[in-house]
Amino acid sequence: VNTEVKMGKVVVSNNGVCLSTTGVGSCLVITLFDPQARLGAMAHTMLPSGASHGVSHSTKYVDLAIDAMITQLEALGASTKNLEAKLVGGANMFPHDQEHDIGAENVAKAKKIFKKKGIQLIGEAVGGSHGRSVEFSVTSGGVTIKINI
Amino acid sequence: MWLQANKKGEKMKLEKLNQINKQAALSASAALSKLIGQDVSISMATVEVKKVEEVKPLIGAEEIVAGIYLPVTGAVKGATLLVFPKDSTFILCDLMMKRPVGTTRKLTELDESALKEVGNILSGNYFTALGNKLQIKIIEHIPNFSFDMFGAMATQVTNQFALKTDEALVLQVHFKFRSKEITGYMLLLFELEQIEAIVSALEKV
Repeated sequence: VNTEVKMGKVVVSNNGVCLSTTGVGSCLVITLFDPQARLGAMAHTMLPSGASHGVSHSTKYVDLAIDAMITQLEALGASTKNLEAKLVGGANMFPHDQEHDIGAENVAKAKKIFKKKGIQLIGEAVGGSHGRSVEFSVTSGGVTIKINI
Repeated sequence: MWLQANKKGEKMKLEKLNQINKQAALSASAALSKLIGQDVSISMATVEVKKVEEVKPLIGAEEIVAGIYLPVTGAVKGATLLVFPKDSTFILCDLMMKRPVGTTRKLTELDESALKEVGNILSGNYFTALGNKLQIKIIEHIPNFSFDMFGAMATQVTNQFALKTDEALVLQVHFKFRSKEITGYMLLLFELEQIEAIVSALEKV
């Protein structure tokens, strides 16, 4: 079963499901996987911080998406101490003209939160100036990335 | 949503935007024809105003496109993203570089430079027409180029405005060369206050 995770959304799933999203540039795709409970979640985030803009619920923000992923995974039986994180995206498609490198800010925000919450970051494919499509197997925890060469 | 063609009163604003499109297309046609030494007819039509998160379905998120991104400042702060699908990009390069159609299989630096110039011409003439209509000054910046997944480019541009607005004006751009016709899209994004100011100004002109 393949489930598409749309921009700004979080999807939590269990064994046997593949979560995917396409055309990721400066956006940051976050996967969390509990190998013992066989539960996983994918977020397709757009911007680093909702909290700093007075937003408290939108999962298009890295900080709020991670909170939502953890809450939903724990509700299904996952444990935060078991979670393994992977990051994909955070690119800068037009590196010569950006007031702010949103991609890099997204990545930095996620890493800061993982460190604070004690979540292990076990893989990343971030930065650069190319788009990526991502598939996350909630059976194995594996992440497959497609790029244009 | 700040413009909807089916709403009373909004049709007039769209008509005014289409007048700007026509003026911009006319000037851009003349400039591009002069640049490449053959007649090119460009038309620009307002497709719709869409939420930025809904722009992607116009072209597949994974579809490889040429994207020319051009920020603007001055009386309005915003950007345009001109997009050509891969095959159209190769044909456009052949026509601009005076090669037989079907020659281009990979873009060279010269091709990228030519495509940036197309971006300059289209965006430049659009903002000149818009600026003249509204009597405001709009300053264009240097174009940036990418040849990659459409979704990756579109979201990066829209993410810059996501905190302030969630809508983009989408134009379809059609090029008619002697032997070929090419279609692309131009996305225009402005900060929310700017959109409101533009719409308000359009009501008065």
